[in-house]
Amino acid sequence: MFAFSTKRPTLPTDLVATLRPIALAGSRLLPLGEPWNALVPAGGLRRGSTVVVQAPPGSGGLSLALSLLTEASAKGHWAGVVGVDDPGVVAIAELGVDLRRVLFVPRPGAAWAESAADLLDGVDLLVVRPPSRAGYAAARRLMDRVRERGTVLICLAEPNAPWPLPADLSFTITQAQWATSSRLDARYLTVSVGGRGEAARASEHLVVLPNRKGRAAAR
Amino acid sequence: MERLLAIYIEALCEEAPDGSTLRDYLALLDALSVLCPFTESVRLGLYVLPIRGPSRFYGGEGAVLEAVAATAHEVVGHEASLGIADGLFCAELAARERLLVPPGSTTSFRRAQPLRVLGREDLVSTCRRLGLHTVGSFADLESARVAERFNKHALALHRVARGELSELATQRDLKLARRLGQLRGESEPQDEQMGFFGQRSGDLRAHAAVHRVRGRLGPEAVVVAALRGGRVPEDRATLVPWGSPVSEARDDAPWPGQLRAPSPATTLHARVSVQLRDADDQPVRMGSRGLFRTSPRTLLFKNLVRRDVVWHAGPWPSVERWWGLSRRRAHLQLVLASGEAVLLVAESGRWWLVGIYD
Repeated sequence: MFAFSTKRPTLPTDLVATLRPIALAGSRLLPLGEPWNALVPAGGLRRGSTVVVQAPPGSGGLSLALSLLTEASAKGHWAGVVGVDDPGVVAIAELGVDLRRVLFVPRPGAAWAESAADLLDGVDLLVVRPPSRAGYAAARRLMDRVRERGTVLICLAEPNAPWPLPADLSFTITQAQWATSSRLDARYLTVSVGGRGEAARASEHLVVLPNRKGRAAAR
Repeated sequence: MERLLAIYIEALCEEAPDGSTLRDYLALLDALSVLCPFTESVRLGLYVLPIRGPSRFYGGEGAVLEAVAATAHEVVGHEASLGIADGLFCAELAARERLLVPPGSTTSFRRAQPLRVLGREDLVSTCRRLGLHTVGSFADLESARVAERFNKHALALHRVARGELSELATQRDLKLARRLGQLRGESEPQDEQMGFFGQRSGDLRAHAAVHRVRGRLGPEAVVVAALRGGRVPEDRATLVPWGSPVSEARDDAPWPGQLRAPSPATTLHARVSVQLRDADDQPVRMGSRGLFRTSPRTLLFKNLVRRDVVWHAGPWPSVERWWGLSRRRAHLQLVLASGEAVLLVAESGRWWLVGIYD
């Protein structure tokens, strides 16, 4: 037998959940743009964490999830978008995402979790919209992989098909209201921000997404 | 068939081993694209552009011919053979003979050509023995008779001879666009720089991940997006499989009448047919000036799902490329009673759902 084993020692699962890869505080955080940086603990997305964006269909969930990519994308981080079958490319560019560093897997079908896991090694942020209700086991495996790789997983869910596991950070859209003039102007979203640890105390905010320039902004 | 100006430069047809031919070809393509943005690179030595729009702009076909000839002389130093006719096949023939075929005369021009212009020796010799010497006499054969004697490629030639197809399959160099893209430096191979512990840089990690997903789902599963010029979101977005050449077309030109931000976060790949009904549950009609006769109250999907319309903006009509393949459309924004907002387009008397402000 070898003097040391390349396999990891088996640790109690409750201990594994608390372990974090060693990294400096700065590199552990991926930057977040306006207005989200003021609404979350430490002002960024912690590497290895899972973010759940939950919204009724058509009320801005996709825009919110994509707007979380903007600042990191502008700083040169790669992002992946899995399961968003008809991405509005113009809207994504208007949000401020650098399209040159976004990989889309529009129609992964039943293999959405496997495709997401494949992409995890190559990107720093990953938006996933499961085509159907996500299973517990698939979600568990994906979140473990995310924690191991230091990626940020952003899951899009709907109230009648929620993400089956608690997230580190959650954005829940409770209300969406369009402001109009001679055209669609802006949408006011009531977003409840919650999660675990420092983010555990849920707070409710009014944000503009998209505004007249197609970007996210504070009220 | 569209009236085309073909630009044929014999000196650029044969590729020089030092790559100068391709560079000159690209330089002239860029220069011609300034004169007319719809200039196409057909193959080495041949460009084509739709003549109607530019001739209105420059003040006649003669003015365009002069501008093009001057540009070609200035950029590559060779004299260009120019020709105008309908369709690529006849336009190239006209250019080789330096002819301007007047509107409406393309058919007689084509029929008078010798059969060898179709580029198939066996066809020429067989037809000669039958006493057929011109494209016109070949075109008069019944296509069933042609199909009996020759293969499907000859059938395509027969359709070209009859004027049902505008170009020969052999006229275009399908790999040229990719080679020009490479020459522009759009997909240069990159050197890998490993980190101290062998970590790969972000770009290379991403590339490796793409290969894994493609191995699982197929070569077109991973796509990348880019913007190009256009008025509405469905025209401005391009999604291409990862690794295919992306044109360096930028989205910074002014487009009068462009639909302004915010744009729909979901832009449907295949638009969905819908119906728009007024208060009396009758289809909403648009007048000749692009205004509604009655205002929309209900959006009706194919599966009979009905949604109440609480607000609408538009319709914003647009007529594009009116000089050639005219396209009339009108866009409309709706807010539904459920709070969702959608983007519709009216085209040829029907309404389509093209975007959801998701």
